[in-house]
Amino acid sequence: MLSIRNLHAAVDGKEILKGIDLEIKPGEVHAIMGPNGSGKSTLSAVLAGNEAYEVTEGDILLDGENLLEKETEERARDGIFLAFQYPVEIPGVSNLQFLRTAVNAMRVHRGLDELSAVDFMKLAKETTKQVDLDPAFLKRGVNEGFSGGEKKRNEILQALLLEPRLAILDETDSGLDIDALKVVADGVNALRSPERAILMVTHYQRLLNHIVPDFVHVLAGGRIVKSGGRELALELEERGYGWLGIKDSDEVEAG
Amino acid sequence: MKTAPTLSSAFLEAAAGKLPAPLQALRAQRGKALADMPLPTRKTENWKYSSRYLKLTDELAASLPSGRNSGPGLAVDGYHVVIHNGVLVPEASDFPDVDGIEIRSFVDLDDDTAQHLADRLDNTLDNNAVQMARLNTARFEDGLYIRLRQDAVLDRPLFVIFEADAEAAGSVYPRIYVDAGANSQMTLVEEYISTGDQTALVDAVTEFSLADGANVTNVRLSLEGENIHHIGATGARLLGHARLDSHCVGFGGPLRRHDLQVRLEAPGANCRLNGVAVTQDKQHFDNHTTIEHVAPHCDSEETYRNIAADESHAIFNGRIHIHKDAQKSNANMSNKNLLLSTGAEIDTKPELEIYADDVKCAHGATVGQLDETALFYLVSRGIDRREANTLLSMAFINELIEQIPVEAVRETVQARLNRFIEQAFEGA
Repeated sequence: MLSIRNLHAAVDGKEILKGIDLEIKPGEVHAIMGPNGSGKSTLSAVLAGNEAYEVTEGDILLDGENLLEKETEERARDGIFLAFQYPVEIPGVSNLQFLRTAVNAMRVHRGLDELSAVDFMKLAKETTKQVDLDPAFLKRGVNEGFSGGEKKRNEILQALLLEPRLAILDETDSGLDIDALKVVADGVNALRSPERAILMVTHYQRLLNHIVPDFVHVLAGGRIVKSGGRELALELEERGYGWLGIKDSDEVEAG
Repeated sequence: MKTAPTLSSAFLEAAAGKLPAPLQALRAQRGKALADMPLPTRKTENWKYSSRYLKLTDELAASLPSGRNSGPGLAVDGYHVVIHNGVLVPEASDFPDVDGIEIRSFVDLDDDTAQHLADRLDNTLDNNAVQMARLNTARFEDGLYIRLRQDAVLDRPLFVIFEADAEAAGSVYPRIYVDAGANSQMTLVEEYISTGDQTALVDAVTEFSLADGANVTNVRLSLEGENIHHIGATGARLLGHARLDSHCVGFGGPLRRHDLQVRLEAPGANCRLNGVAVTQDKQHFDNHTTIEHVAPHCDSEETYRNIAADESHAIFNGRIHIHKDAQKSNANMSNKNLLLSTGAEIDTKPELEIYADDVKCAHGATVGQLDETALFYLVSRGIDRREANTLLSMAFINELIEQIPVEAVRETVQARLNRFIEQAFEGA
């Protein structure tokens, strides 16, 4: 489904990704782990099409099509979803209006009729339950005044509504207490399906206790330095990043 | 030395029509005074940014023929009064029949009431600052006199639809005077619309005199077409614990000017002034507001927002004057502006004059662009870029639109703003 080949990317002229290769097939769950500054969030941003990042070399193919030639909104309609590490607050745009506009943009792209306000409200209310979010949050401004956990749940709510082919979760576990983590993980697990792939970007392995990945990759210095199965994450938990020859500023926490 | 241009005599030679004698006399008196009034130039401080849009050609001096009405305005629940080219159209109007409330056309007033009104017209406005309002008083052919007796409550909003019918070039002078007795209440929605495609000038003046405890909501919608030059003034004076809740929404044009002057004259008087103006292409919109804190213990809260696209020009000038005796005044003023293109111009100027020492007075003005991070967030969900831009621009003003207390107006205005902003992003 997704092929990343020799991807190099820079921000403000500074090269962050230095040759990433990654193949993701439908139904697979991949975890990308790595210390701070390894380029994890850059990879997510580049996949979603954030223009602050410049791809200097390499390709990203989604179902054989060159993703890099597409605008962010086209990528989204083709099924790329990025759950933001820091979801943006947009006062004045109601969450409901935002979600409905997005869902209808997707539906039109998929050749479906737009949902009426009433039908969408039903669907949205139903889906809020799945992420344990009070439906009252639909009426508020997008992420406006939401707690960290509420913002992350709102991201998962969007993923559930938009039904992406590839969901990228950028540090979705950061800032969550264990209960919120579980709710978010349940939401992500609900997303799992044979047609859909998930790419989790995380510093810590604790999320992986709840969402069990098929593959784990260690990103360091802008390259994938090691790939393996789930056991690699456990090993990282036990031994930190040091044994891979990686310096981690957060070593104490990560261990 | 070049002398400043004055108003052409063509503007001052219009017949008074059927007005009662006291109003005819007032009109004639103002006309005389106007003959020597210098017209604003770019050296006139309160017209600095807008004098270049002011074009008072002789062609505009003619009164536009009145008496017809080509269509209704907002079809919503409330009382409706239609003023066509400055003259009331009785057959299109639906007057309230509520105890203690009189709504009458100027031409229908008996001489005593007309004299009472003539003694009051212009008394809410600082005529030195609102030069062009004087032209209205010299030229109006009719008007609406609204009188609320003590404790009278108008149960539904009163919509006054001012239609400028510009089949030919000329000018119209809409006028309202609201005399709100103690503890009376009303909501007045002024809707300025136009038909026809010739160049026309609308010079509109609305005044409010609020006795103790009166509570008036005023919504002013400036919706006229591209051929209309609009100069408007609203004046209000408030006695003890009276409240004015003002919502001005304006779409740009070749000339759009609104002066809003509020005087808080006795303790407890308070006002909320909200304003939204949107401009695109080469349009203009200029809001000048003045709040006079004359008495102690008065509150004012003012929030204006502008969105300027393309090569348009939006201006906000907000003056707060806290008089020497106005201790414990509480005044807040905020003006935020959104520039949608590098070719657009925004001029914003807060003016604070404070002569009392125990007051709270805050002001802030910003000019910014759409937030790229928010835009990325929206498009990353598959939302079309133009729609995302529109959502974010609407978000900038929605907070104010949502405070308009008449639901039907709110919805109509929201839809119109949305269309306008979508247009601004067309081809962008």
